Amino acid sequence: MADTNYRCPCCRKISPDPHDLARHYLGQTDTKHKEWLKTKGHSYAQLITWQVTEFGNKGYDALAEVLEKEAPRVEA
Amino acid sequence: MKKQLKFVVNGNPYDIWIEPRLLLVQVLRDELGLKGTHRACDEGCCCVCTVNIDGKAVKSCSVLAMQANGKEVTTIEGMKNGAELHPIQQAFVDNWAFQCGFCTSGQIMASNALLKENPTPTREEVQHAMDGHLCRCTGYNMINEAIRDAAGRLQAQKAQEKTK
Amino acid sequence: MSEYSIIGKPTKNVDGPAKVSGEAVYTFDMTLPNMLYGKLLRSPYPHARIISIDTSEAEKLQGVKAVITGKDTPGGRYGLWRRFPELCDQTTLAMDKVRFIGDAVAAVAAVSTEIAEQALDFINVEYELLPAVFEPLEAIKDDAPLIHDDCSNNINITRHVEWGDVDEGFKNSDYVREDRFIYGNQATASTEVHNSLASYEKSTGRLTVWSSTQSPYYLQLGLSDALKMREGDIRVIKPHVGGGFGGKNSTMPDSLNAAVLSMKTGRPVKIVYNREEEFTCTERRTAMNMAVKLGLKKDGTIMAREVKLITDGGAYTALGPTALYLTGTYASLPYKIPNYRYDGLRAYTNKMWATSVRSFGATEAGFAFEAQMDRAAHDLGIDPIEIRRKNAMTPGYEAPGQYSVGSCGLSECIDKVEKRVKEKWTGLAEDEGVGYACFDYQCGGIFNWIDTPYAFSGAMVKVNIDGTVDLFTQASDIGQGTNTVSVMICAEELGVGIEDIRLHPADTATTPVDLGAWASRETMMNGNAIKEAAAEVKKILIRVARLKLAENIVYDFEAKNKRIYLAIRPERGFSYYDIVKDAIKENDGQALIGIGHYTPHRKGMVTPAWAFGCMASRVKVDREIGHVKVKEIIVAHDCGQPINPLGVRGQVEGSIHLGMGWGLCEEQPNDNGMILNPSFADYKVVRTRDMPQIELHEVLTYDPEGPFGAKESAEGAVAPTPASIANAIYQATGAEINSNTLKPEKVLNAIREAEKKKPAKR
Repeated sequence: MADTNYRCPCCRKISPDPHDLARHYLGQTDTKHKEWLKTKGHSYAQLITWQVTEFGNKGYDALAEVLEKEAPRVEA
Repeated sequence: MKKQLKFVVNGNPYDIWIEPRLLLVQVLRDELGLKGTHRACDEGCCCVCTVNIDGKAVKSCSVLAMQANGKEVTTIEGMKNGAELHPIQQAFVDNWAFQCGFCTSGQIMASNALLKENPTPTREEVQHAMDGHLCRCTGYNMINEAIRDAAGRLQAQKAQEKTK
Repeated sequence: MSEYSIIGKPTKNVDGPAKVSGEAVYTFDMTLPNMLYGKLLRSPYPHARIISIDTSEAEKLQGVKAVITGKDTPGGRYGLWRRFPELCDQTTLAMDKVRFIGDAVAAVAAVSTEIAEQALDFINVEYELLPAVFEPLEAIKDDAPLIHDDCSNNINITRHVEWGDVDEGFKNSDYVREDRFIYGNQATASTEVHNSLASYEKSTGRLTVWSSTQSPYYLQLGLSDALKMREGDIRVIKPHVGGGFGGKNSTMPDSLNAAVLSMKTGRPVKIVYNREEEFTCTERRTAMNMAVKLGLKKDGTIMAREVKLITDGGAYTALGPTALYLTGTYASLPYKIPNYRYDGLRAYTNKMWATSVRSFGATEAGFAFEAQMDRAAHDLGIDPIEIRRKNAMTPGYEAPGQYSVGSCGLSECIDKVEKRVKEKWTGLAEDEGVGYACFDYQCGGIFNWIDTPYAFSGAMVKVNIDGTVDLFTQASDIGQGTNTVSVMICAEELGVGIEDIRLHPADTATTPVDLGAWASRETMMNGNAIKEAAAEVKKILIRVARLKLAENIVYDFEAKNKRIYLAIRPERGFSYYDIVKDAIKENDGQALIGIGHYTPHRKGMVTPAWAFGCMASRVKVDREIGHVKVKEIIVAHDCGQPINPLGVRGQVEGSIHLGMGWGLCEEQPNDNGMILNPSFADYKVVRTRDMPQIELHEVLTYDPEGPFGAKESAEGAVAPTPASIANAIYQATGAEINSNTLKPEKVLNAIREAEKKKPAKR
């Protein structure tokens, strides 16, 4: 079991796994979630396009990397 | 300016005044209240509106009502014999030859004309004669079987009448 | 199971005599006294802001009784995916902008259709043209024009499904292939156009709407949301319907505007689309771009599958997300996939919107899957039947977190088709091929996107003193034979004859809620509700019989042929008439009423049961002109227990017909938002001469979830039809075609490509 969880930077979603958090994140289409991505140099459109056009989890993987660094941690 | 239209519909004589631009299907449905003939494309592409004029299958959206002046028109409402279904109608029921039923009147009227001209059509002959009829529900094969079943019934009926 | 009196026996359509004699009434045929005729003014532009609308000249025309624009409507937003309010993105008329060519901006009520049409020309709309977008990948870019101002990137909805470890699955595969498929639009093209008749009663504030609809309940909800009225003040009645095929689930401008015009004028108003509107201003099958990756062991066992999908949603939501969701499900069926990943996205575009059309998701997913199976089989040196048999779904399978499979006769279906093909299709002619495809389809949906608190189907049965029965069900017969199935199930359960039952269908004021005719739900869900309602009454009758006979509690009673009797001693029993009278008397004279309902529970997220099957198509390809002739089809089908074999055959053959259309000729080419073939002269459909002979076999599996073991038969056979035809072309010529339709020029080009790679005859 993970020692800490990751919290979504834009809402209350919590997950022990940045990939799972990335999956949650790309399912959100509100402005707040999209704007935060821009501040990190990413585009929602680009991430989702990768995810739905290329094999693999390219969109989630790219976002998971960002979330691992940037997402606030909360205790498990 | 209205024109006089005198014709017989389902055995009933009519003497009415109509605008000459009206299509036969409009006069049948809207003036005479015979709603059994349906309309689907109004371009002569689907045969849903088929009726009989002097025994021939005609798309009623593609003729002016005035073209039926002096003629005998049969619509689906004229097929029953009192309360009894015509053999073609009964064959359609027995063979599940309709689903939504919207094209059925046209199919039956066309069959009526076909079987007068060709009393014992083959599967291919029925396909050829009925190719203009649009049906989105049945896939056509059960209609084809119903028409050939009806042909058999009509032949049997004819034979029975001969022996009387 | 014991022998049934009615179930499983070929039964004539209860609506038959009416339909064959022109007496069946469709909304299209209805008139009311004092009725007005309505017409809609539609946008000529794919994307534009409405600056102003001047209706003054139109209002002056003699015979015009009312002209309305968006500001004259209550302005409520509506949609089918009501669980997510942001997806309720439609209004009665365009409020501030138009989003596709054909979007309704104004409506007229007049004393005749001709005058209403003339009045449209006198309505002046000033538009500010906006840039439009037509391709989904373009539409989701950051700089794309926004179609709905509150939906950035024009992303309507996304879906991700994953189980197992897909990447590991591919690593462990001996053979991996990637393919891309492109699917175009298809129209539903029902023979009866969309049309509605609305009558508003000013004195009570109540609205009645007759409509050519697949779901009176959905229409009632749409009207309630759009017009901001109480559901209970709206009565929707569905007369006979001339076809739907998925295109009549949504609430449409015809019903909404007929209602508002009726409110304004105090007279009934009827709006009937013309055929061009039917093709351009209603709903279409969802166009898709699909990338699929399949990994197998060298013995043909599937290890992993991955699907990436973009769908072209058009201007509004409707039931489009359901197509996105279901494609993700169907891409994992009917074969077992231990590791699976699906990503799908539905984008808004400035086109007529896309929705659920018969076998939505399954046709598109099936075409890709079956093509890949054939090509993989060829590369691995495995027989196309063997590779399917090896991976075929089996009973009791669980897709983790997604769905479960109850009964499944797929293997038996494969065996049957293989046997018949070997027996019948000996010696293929030159350029003939046999293609296989397996299929599956659901029995209604579980995910409650309509957000209803009601059971998914309800029914009420009233047994009268003389043994006649009144059956109340809101289930929608749109041609598939639901009325007949409803009566059959009720009659079987109660032990009466079909002729004893009077059906009261599809009226929201008098029948319990049923969600309507979509995703093949009526037999399973409505059937179960009816069976439960009838069983409730039967229980009462049996109790009375038991008391009268004073038999030992261990003995069972049966109800059959209008008698209630001891199962072991049938001569000891009573006529229905006597028992019903006693039951009424002993219950204080109250009517004998049974109420039933059904909502699937503990069945996963998709559906309570699956039907399965296998199809083989024998096809001749003309190498000179690319023409494809389907010579014969053999299909084996598992629908649990056919309720009415005549009806099942009708549904299977009808499905094959639509599948052939999607596969061979039905297309809606689009140029900057304009549909180029809005008429039956140019929209090619399959006609009677194109239809092959079809040999149908039923495999009985009896699913305990279904009424008398029944599962669906309305949509399953659509998907394998184009898939097996494409595979037959592949088998005959090596041609690989990754898109619909299989029109001659495409087939010809694919044959030439194949000939470059390998010799002419495979």
